[in-house]
Amino acid sequence: MTTADTNVSSPERPLTDAPRASATLARERALTTLQVLIRREFWEHRALWMAPLVTSVLLIACAFPAHIDFSDFTRASSDGRFRDIAWFAALQWGLTTLQFLIAAIVVNFYLLDCLFAERKDRSILFWKSLPASDGATVLSKLLVAQAVVPLGVYLLSIPTALLFSLVWMVRASLGHLPAAVAMWDTVAWLKVEVIVLFTGVVAALWYVPLSAYLLLVSAWARRSVFLWATLPPVLAIVLEHVAFGTRYVWSLIAYRTGGIFDYVHIQKIIEGTILSAGSGHPISLGAASAELARAFGNIDLWIGLAVGAALTYAAARIRRYRDDT
Amino acid sequence: MTPVIEARALKKHFGATRAVDSVSFTVAPGRIVGLIGPNGAGKTTVLKAILGLTRFDGSLQVLGRNPDSQRDDLMQDVCFIADVAVLPKWLRVHNALDFVAGVHPRFDRARAEEFLRKTDIRLTSRVHELSKGMVTQLHLALILAIDARLLVLDEPTLGLDLLFRRQFYDTLLNDYFDKERTILLTTHQVEEIEHLLTDVIFINRGHIILDSAVEDLAGRYIQVTVAADRLAALRELRPFYEREIFGRVALYFEGRSPAELGAAGGPHAELRTPSISDLFVARMQGSAQ
Repeated sequence: MTTADTNVSSPERPLTDAPRASATLARERALTTLQVLIRREFWEHRALWMAPLVTSVLLIACAFPAHIDFSDFTRASSDGRFRDIAWFAALQWGLTTLQFLIAAIVVNFYLLDCLFAERKDRSILFWKSLPASDGATVLSKLLVAQAVVPLGVYLLSIPTALLFSLVWMVRASLGHLPAAVAMWDTVAWLKVEVIVLFTGVVAALWYVPLSAYLLLVSAWARRSVFLWATLPPVLAIVLEHVAFGTRYVWSLIAYRTGGIFDYVHIQKIIEGTILSAGSGHPISLGAASAELARAFGNIDLWIGLAVGAALTYAAARIRRYRDDT
Repeated sequence: MTPVIEARALKKHFGATRAVDSVSFTVAPGRIVGLIGPNGAGKTTVLKAILGLTRFDGSLQVLGRNPDSQRDDLMQDVCFIADVAVLPKWLRVHNALDFVAGVHPRFDRARAEEFLRKTDIRLTSRVHELSKGMVTQLHLALILAIDARLLVLDEPTLGLDLLFRRQFYDTLLNDYFDKERTILLTTHQVEEIEHLLTDVIFINRGHIILDSAVEDLAGRYIQVTVAADRLAALRELRPFYEREIFGRVALYFEGRSPAELGAAGGPHAELRTPSISDLFVARMQGSAQ
């Protein structure tokens, strides 16, 4: 074959670039790529933003007919004013928790689907024709699940709770609700918001290995991702129990699901700051935060993050080399 | 000259099946190379190895890089269209532009938009709302606006009607190709692209059975069409393939001079350079015989 002589290095990228400038440029590029990859997830998986929005709208709609009896939650306090604050705080906490739970379900299905769907519809061949590495792609999905969606839900939960309370206040002023139910207490509200934020951060980090496991299954399974994600742990639990009569796998899964919350005494925090907010035996916000911050002293959190990193790396490797299109 | 692609003893097997069995070839810059072979010949496997989509044995350099270990870097300079069906159905046209603009440092968005303006594609449409031909146009608009040095096309026009196929290759040739760029493509419809290829590589059962610049084919291969009475004399010259056309017989020779063949074929013999598609069939059948 004949040819004109062509230089291998392209003219757009002079080799004389100062190393620092090119490093900055590379970092900027990587960040832009990650941003676009993250936006892409919300184009494809619309449930990621629609489900939290719909949940918020439905919760606000619930403010119109709902009348909930909170007296059981607040038996600890006797004083009327304190009881009202506790009602209020529990309501704020409950609304926010509900939004997080629904988002968590959506996110789990998202994680299971994201790397599987692109192989099923072969669009992976399009994504792979562009210079976004497998590592960046898989990382973007983990970030969506552990950071972007939780932060979005948190930001959304604030106006949701505010609007909910506003509706109740209006209804109370019209005499449709007991005035005590429709109160507002800024200090209690702030406490709830701070504790939700802290708990959210701890939860997002604690669930990294679980999310990475779902990503791995999504990258690996040829079909029935849901079964591949759920059956092996269930089988392991059953087999272990039949063979050895022990329950280590079950304990591990249970621990990895809720262990950190026991560790930071979440029950105590909720009772001390929210359910008895304003009562005689409150936990100060500082003490509650310190309690939550203990999570970072828990070696299992860091082990989980390391395992999560390994599973994410494995998912990226599988995406890189799996060839079933 | 630095080759764009340099494959040495490229091998890939799936279990006991050898999809690609010791394939070596070189692609120089500024060429349009057709990788042609029947189904299961190993074309797609070779392309996948070049694109770093599959692992392989042997040595392979694409733009001076190893597609296996340096894929992320390589994809800055290489683009490919696997086939037209791979654009995700949910993607909106303007989001597709956003995405490519975001991840590709050498994407010229204005150029892609200009190309799209010439089509009936609306920026707000989703891919599943577009016809198959329009999806190809969209994919082409995205790829052509990328300043890549190697473009790999694997059956890019599969399932498209003739008009779109023609348009696809015309656009590729007129709006994209230049001396700095190289195109490597596979297709079933050899006759449609033979006028645009500069090089052909025939591959069958994992082996390369022909690798030549198109301009060199003329000196190397001759097709002689004669009546049956001249067969014996011509067969002496060992054609590698023959077939009957309307009562006459076409014989295909490699490395024979026109004078030699003309003498054996007699005054009514027709001598010409076989078309790439004829040569392909002759070579495939010939290697099977």
